[in-house]
Amino acid sequence: MDTAIRTRELSKQFRSHAALRRLNLEVPRGSVFGYLGPNGAGKTTTIRILAGLISPTTGGAEVLGFDVVDRCEEVQRRIGYLPGEFAAYPDLSGAQYLRYMAYLRGGVDWSEVERLAKRFDLDLAKRFKTLSHGNKQKIGIIQAFMHRPDLLILDEPTSGLDPLMQREFLALLRETRDDGRTVFLSSHILSDVEAVADTVAILRSGELVVTKSVDELRERALRRLELTFAGPAPIEVLRQADGVQEITVDGDTAHVEVAGSTASLLQAAAPHQIVNVVSHEVDLEAIFLDYYTARS
Amino acid sequence: MFRNVYWKTLYDQRRGLGAWSIAIFVLVGLESALWPSIRNMPDLKDLYAKMPEELGKLFDLDAMSTGPGFLNAELFTLMLPVLFLVYGIGHGARSLAGEEEDGTLDLLLVMPITGARIVLQKALALLTCVVTLGVTLFVATTTMSLIFDVGISAGQAASGSLAMVLLGSEYGALALAAGAVLGRRSLATGIASAAAAGAYVLYAAGLMIESVEPWRPLSPFDQALTGGPLGAGLPAAYLWLVGGAVLLTLIAMPALDGRDIAAHN
Ligand SMILES: Nc1ncnc2c1ncn2[C@@H]1O[C@H](COP(=O)(O)OP(=O)(O)O)[C@@H](O)[C@H]1O
Ligand SMILES: [Mg+2]
Repeated sequence: MDTAIRTRELSKQFRSHAALRRLNLEVPRGSVFGYLGPNGAGKTTTIRILAGLISPTTGGAEVLGFDVVDRCEEVQRRIGYLPGEFAAYPDLSGAQYLRYMAYLRGGVDWSEVERLAKRFDLDLAKRFKTLSHGNKQKIGIIQAFMHRPDLLILDEPTSGLDPLMQREFLALLRETRDDGRTVFLSSHILSDVEAVADTVAILRSGELVVTKSVDELRERALRRLELTFAGPAPIEVLRQADGVQEITVDGDTAHVEVAGSTASLLQAAAPHQIVNVVSHEVDLEAIFLDYYTARS
Repeated sequence: MFRNVYWKTLYDQRRGLGAWSIAIFVLVGLESALWPSIRNMPDLKDLYAKMPEELGKLFDLDAMSTGPGFLNAELFTLMLPVLFLVYGIGHGARSLAGEEEDGTLDLLLVMPITGARIVLQKALALLTCVVTLGVTLFVATTTMSLIFDVGISAGQAASGSLAMVLLGSEYGALALAAGAVLGRRSLATGIASAAAAGAYVLYAAGLMIESVEPWRPLSPFDQALTGGPLGAGLPAAYLWLVGGAVLLTLIAMPALDGRDIAAHN
């Protein structure tokens, strides 16, 4: 059993509105899986079905080998869940709230709670209502991680975290994966998960557009290179290279867009006295937007 | 205090229960303090005789020349039932629908305990709170009776307090069940309040209009108030109230597991 989450033709209908359409998703164990899509794509709907809070209209889903409808309790025992809009009781302190959740779960090691609180620099004695948005979110994160579940299902977990805490959080996700556990997290911003996800799935209007490893996405990504030559840029030679999409010339400098590997382009350019090469960051956001808007 | 849903709910209620208890004490105290002067009014009987006959039935004015009759008319047939209903319905509606609207129910439901158990513990917490107010009422009635010589025995006070507890529990359970099924606090409050108002109208109309009289025992108000409630003993009609509250809880228990829980936003 090496699949953490598997959905079969999973569909959810809200009255006349199809929020999810025949979704077939497979999340391998021991990975960080980014579930991406614009607002309203159906991410929260999928996650609430997986967590057992709403039921599918048709199709089904298995989490850690258990059916999410028939074996709901088994699933819930093994997952950590962070809702999209996390809310705790305003008058309880962080410690009181987490104790309550720990009692309801059973078998939580309190030192784990303290360790996480320290790591995220969170004062557990403060009442929930007095906390900033980011600190509230941290309570939600601790609540999801405190029992060291096999699978974490996190709905837009990075929202509200400042950059420093976001980095700490991504580190926590990596450690969780290296521990052999699985993280399924949603986001509407690729750059939030790109640094940590092994695989991403892109969802649009309730339909899965693509599932790819981040490496694969990167390979397909457009790279922009600036090649400066000692003399005029050999445009015709460069145009012949594999993957070249577009070239514009500015004096001795050629601006080239390449899809995938740049090896062929550099080989073609090498004999022509290159003075300088500037390679720009791979723009994953651009492909992401491409998938978002494609076929719409 | 955070061991389970039951204790957590009681913890949430601690301040509210304190305030309500004080209110009950003050109310019973003020009313009882009036009794010595009422009793000594020479033309009390004449005064009652001038009142419309129907009003007399509704508030049991005939019996008003005795202490228990006075408190029944002044407190236990309208004021206290309303207090217990407001508390019970408010608590019941907040119980589940309130948590759902606040977004805190999500995390209770993803814990490895069934929704039915959450509902049951919430219902037991509601009952405990209403019983606490009932005990307060009992203590207030007996002590104030001693202080102001109202002449209410412990048994009479007990049946009166029990009647209030049963009324509050039944409509509290209705609000809780409506909230469990519908997930909306305002709707749950509205349904339970409307049901209570309807039942009171049936009770009052049954007392005053002959053709409605046969239907009167169907009203929970009749079941709770007839023959007292101070000094009613333990009428069999109380069983209807107990049965009603139990039935409503049983209806509510599977509700959370059987429907979609609204996302918080
Ligand atoms: N309870 C609901 N009733 C009706 N429509 C809903 C409900 N929940 C979600 N939707 C709709 O389903 C679609 C998907 O929503 P959601 O899963 O929340 O998207 P995301 O989390 O990707 O932003 C949206 O169009 C939303 O309006
Ligand atoms: Mg969402």
